[in-house]
Amino acid sequence: MRRALLALLYFLGAAVTMAFLALPLLAIFVHVSPGRLVDQLSNPVVTDALIVSLKTTLIAQALILLFGTPTAYLLASRRFPGRNACVTLVELPLVLPPAVAGIGLLAAFGRFGLLGSTLRLAGITLPFTQAAVTIAVAFVASPLYIRQAIAAFEAIDPDLVAASRTLGAGPARTFFRIVLPMARGGLAAGEALAFARGLGEFGATIMFAGSLEHVTQTLPLAIYAEFEVNFNVTLAISALLVLISAALLLSLKLTFLWQPSEQTSRSRFALSSWS
Amino acid sequence: MSARGFTMILAAILLFVSAASAAGRPSTHVSTRVSGITVYAAASLTDVFPKIDPGPRYSFGASSTLAAQITQGAPADVFASANTTIPAQLFAGGLVQKPVVFTRNRLVLVVPTSNPAGIHSVYDLRKPGVKLVIAAPAVPVGNYTLQVLRQMGLTSVLSNVVSRESDVRSVLSKVALGEADAGFVYSTDAKTVPGKVKVIKIPAWAQPKVTYAMAVLSSSDNKAAARRFMNEVVGKAGQKKLRAAGFVPIPGASPGS
Repeated sequence: MRRALLALLYFLGAAVTMAFLALPLLAIFVHVSPGRLVDQLSNPVVTDALIVSLKTTLIAQALILLFGTPTAYLLASRRFPGRNACVTLVELPLVLPPAVAGIGLLAAFGRFGLLGSTLRLAGITLPFTQAAVTIAVAFVASPLYIRQAIAAFEAIDPDLVAASRTLGAGPARTFFRIVLPMARGGLAAGEALAFARGLGEFGATIMFAGSLEHVTQTLPLAIYAEFEVNFNVTLAISALLVLISAALLLSLKLTFLWQPSEQTSRSRFALSSWS
Repeated sequence: MSARGFTMILAAILLFVSAASAAGRPSTHVSTRVSGITVYAAASLTDVFPKIDPGPRYSFGASSTLAAQITQGAPADVFASANTTIPAQLFAGGLVQKPVVFTRNRLVLVVPTSNPAGIHSVYDLRKPGVKLVIAAPAVPVGNYTLQVLRQMGLTSVLSNVVSRESDVRSVLSKVALGEADAGFVYSTDAKTVPGKVKVIKIPAWAQPKVTYAMAVLSSSDNKAAARRFMNEVVGKAGQKKLRAAGFVPIPGASPGS
């Protein structure tokens, strides 16, 4: 009797949660007919924003991979004083309100920011440029990748790395032939999450980069700008973003379903090791 | 659930409800307080409306954004817009009652005090590389800005626009921070950041008619209180506060009357 009641409570909790999460997403698609949604996608506001979003997010992802990977490897493989502080620092943007990130970026890279005069000497002004959008995206999205990458690198059996070294492989060869291939699942997972987060970036961008069609207006900014102009366009962009995000998440899961574990690491898809 | 637990939860709910109603109760010392209503008002009214009446809950934003929220069923009682066209549209759509004009404003050009681009008149906006920030065209101030530029034959300066902001206060803050070289805002907004921006006047012949209108929402549950609030704004004390903030009295409302 008691067990049945408990099961019912679990079921109710799950049903409420699922309905709560699914309803807003479904509503986006129900509100306007699919034909009309597709029509709106050819609206120049949408195509411009899509191009700006893809360009800035892709560049930001390249930077995150380039700088984040060595950072994560260092933090995963070395133990040094201040390591915890470093880990906390790279994770901080994850929990920071994006508006705070925007203010911070302005205070650092704005014309009158900490580095403003230095940048001006170099002939660079960042605010209101696509570079500013890219920086904002990189700032808020990098923790998702680095966190995941640290977990992926930490999951590699150190004996394997040691064996590679004793067998004569140099540190670079060991990194590229042993460490990277073994961590690639976790790295891809982190990268996908960072990509999705970057695509959705709003607060820091609107404060640091402003919003100008064709230049700095990303998909989320276009949703905000079109909300009061044409609600159907905002629905179309929202639907597009829901589909992209779902596709990212699904492809990630399918990749891991199709690839049976062929490595010693316990968690390649280390999403569960987040807490 | 044990009886004790139930009592405690009940007590907590009662405590919460009484605290909430106490917070919502008007103070007896201020006679001109309308509470229990929600006022959606143009961002340019951010500073002056709470001075006229601190009672209502306020939501400030671009009039166009607020109108979009009202269209989507936002639970407001009064809507105050920085133009007359948006309230007129809502009125035509049956969403608000008949709008009332309550004040006017002037558009100005603001530059950071340091004036990095050396702008001394609206015509200086033509200089190449000037970082001009304006509001989005759907936002009233963005529309007024386009009117001024068209009137002065300066639509070419739109190529110097680096951002179309979501409301007038965002334009102001980008200029006050020094990130933008210039921006069009209301003269009343410029007054809220003294020392941060320099004001450049727009020639009188190019000045657009900036007229504010407000209306009670058709869906309001508290139309009497909403009307009381509107009467406060158009009343003597309200108009005095608006004038003190730099707003221009509506024609017919002679000063001090």
